[in-house]
Amino acid sequence: MTLDLSIITDNAGLFAQGAVATVYISVAAIISGLLIAFPVALLRLSPRRVMSWPAVAYVELFRNIPFIVMLSLFFYGLPFFGLRLQPMTTGIVALALFGSAYFAEIVRGAILSVPRGQMESARAIGMSYLRALREIIFPQMLRFFIPAATNTSISLVKESAVLATLSVAELTYQGLIVQGQTFAPFEVFLATATIYWGLTALLAAGFRTSERRLGGQAQRGFSSRHRLAARYLSLEPEPRS
Amino acid sequence: MTAPPVLSVRGLRKSFGAMTAVAGVDLDVEAGEIVCIIGPSGCGKSTFLRCINYLERPDEGTVRIAGDYIGREPAAAGGTRLQSARQLDRMRPRVGLVFQQFHLWPHLSALENVARAPIRLRGVDRSEAEAQARALLARFGLAAKAGRMPADLSGGEKQRVAIARALAMKPELMLFDEPTSALDPEVVGDVLRLMKELAEEGMTMVVVTHELGFARKVADRIVFFDAGRIAEMGPPDELIDRPRSERLRLFLSHFQ
Repeated sequence: MTLDLSIITDNAGLFAQGAVATVYISVAAIISGLLIAFPVALLRLSPRRVMSWPAVAYVELFRNIPFIVMLSLFFYGLPFFGLRLQPMTTGIVALALFGSAYFAEIVRGAILSVPRGQMESARAIGMSYLRALREIIFPQMLRFFIPAATNTSISLVKESAVLATLSVAELTYQGLIVQGQTFAPFEVFLATATIYWGLTALLAAGFRTSERRLGGQAQRGFSSRHRLAARYLSLEPEPRS
Repeated sequence: MTAPPVLSVRGLRKSFGAMTAVAGVDLDVEAGEIVCIIGPSGCGKSTFLRCINYLERPDEGTVRIAGDYIGREPAAAGGTRLQSARQLDRMRPRVGLVFQQFHLWPHLSALENVARAPIRLRGVDRSEAEAQARALLARFGLAAKAGRMPADLSGGEKQRVAIARALAMKPELMLFDEPTSALDPEVVGDVLRLMKELAEEGMTMVVVTHELGFARKVADRIVFFDAGRIAEMGPPDELIDRPRSERLRLFLSHFQ
């Protein structure tokens, strides 16, 4: 058995289209997921039960259902409520909601990782809750937030493959098409896997850059000795840098 | 008409579940007065201090800063009602609070720790705010440390920056919550000296402290807290040398 690379090169166009669609779906879902996650996390942190309870329910709902089941529920269920969306749109919405549950827990953990006294000293001097979050808490939570958000974002890129079940022409679906035409599953999935790997590696590199840019400010808060100690003693898995 | 006291507390109560931390406290502090609060751990003195600027929301009672209500105000229909978050945020800068653990913002330089609030909350020009912050830091012997990050400062330096941060908002009242308890013994004196200077300049101060020597030298009045109440109150000599209650005698005996 020999590896026939011409199967990949002959169908490069389809793979490229699929990759572009996967990037589009993933980026849209990650960004909207993050945007939803912040208010959900803040609600969840509220001491008032009426505020925190819906957020808990939201997170538990979207976290405890396999994505493929959730996607099917959306796709076949929404028309019952008169909402007919394109498969691609349904997929992005479902992936964003799915991701937002994980992102919300990360945001919550990251906020809680900042010592309580930080919020207290900001409020005591007269900053509003939101200003204290923005100016004092967020810059300090990035060290915790970015590595964890990277992991979830990579998971979302991989989960986007499930959209193939709705015939959304993303990377996995295009791979299946090529396989159907060529009957060369090994070459096809080798190519597909390589492209996924490349995309997630790129994504991780992007997050690392943002960590250096954004976290650079926050990092300065810790002397070089602390930084070194933190790197070696850290119990949080961090991406290599 | 005489000016209202800088701090006026009436009927303040605060419980955490079944535990009563502050059990009905009335206290007036006049302009320029230094009041030191002493008492055994867990007697509610820190909670009382944190209730003054509503970091802890009292269950009952009112607090006024130079006559203006903070946190809770009389309602038109009688009784009291909580102020809006915005009202509270506007009142808080009038009270400076210094924490035991400093709580400097570690991602900002010493200078920015001091200048940030005046810039954001008072709309002071950055250049002007930084000049004021530098002057404050210089006064506290920290001119060379303005650009340092908090992690690169010693405990005594951190606490002096924290005091400068609170003063930058030009508060009418300064609250100190055991400001020297987290410091190495050799730098405690530096911070106390600074507080004494502030007192001599006429700042109104309420200081929760275990430093009886400081309280005796600097305080106009000492308040002895016990079980969430003011158990005894008076000028330092009277209170420390001639304690009336057995509780205070016992408490003071631990310091000899």
